[in-house]
Amino acid sequence: MTTLIVIDQAPYGSWTGREALDMVFSLAAFDQPAAMLFMGAGVNWLRKSQDAGGIGQRTVEKNLAAAPVFGVEQILAEQSACERFRLGEEDRLNGVELIPSVRDALDRFERIVFAG
Amino acid sequence: MSPGLSYTLVITGAPWSSQAPQTALAFAQELIAAGHRIDRVFLYGEGVHLASALSTPPSDEPDWPGQWADFLADNQTPGVACIASALRRGIVDQGEQARYELSANNLRQPYQIAGLGEWVEGNLKSDRVIYFHGSH
Repeated sequence: MTTLIVIDQAPYGSWTGREALDMVFSLAAFDQPAAMLFMGAGVNWLRKSQDAGGIGQRTVEKNLAAAPVFGVEQILAEQSACERFRLGEEDRLNGVELIPSVRDALDRFERIVFAG
Repeated sequence: MSPGLSYTLVITGAPWSSQAPQTALAFAQELIAAGHRIDRVFLYGEGVHLASALSTPPSDEPDWPGQWADFLADNQTPGVACIASALRRGIVDQGEQARYELSANNLRQPYQIAGLGEWVEGNLKSDRVIYFHGSH
């Protein structure tokens, strides 16, 4: 049963997204299927060429780019949020599936964890 | 009476900065009263502050960490603080104190420190996994 981890907050403002990502990698490490959904301001996680050095953080881009390698099955992003944050195809990490409806996406999963 | 369901409770909100621990405790008490089982309580993110032995609220205020620890002990329910979350936030047991050569430890009894594998196991084995967040 695939677990969907949902991130709806922009990166860098708190540690909750990073800790949600740790949950994803932990599932993968135990061979449990996992998927991720980025919605609202959370879609900014998917932006290419992030540079968080100026605020003393490491970029989350590398961590996220490794997700498929570690067995994360799907990376979903809310289409309307991508449009709102001007995150076009050329701006996004590769391998992201846009979803027109969050509700429909959530209905596809039985186990859903919102980043706390 | 039905045998009830098994639960894993995940608390990610800290006491005093969120309502999460109090809500989770009320929920846990009702679960037991209704004949259900709690496999484990997993503290993650800011929730690990619930496992600090040094929390000392004024005597005329509720002692949420103390009440939670009593509940875990009374019901022999395992309480686990995520090791990565805990070490970041200065929640340390004797083993980690020695490993990192720290000056003190402060993990409240009966909590244990362990990895996210405990949460994964909860996902696999418990009938329900319920989250208590500090935000949302």
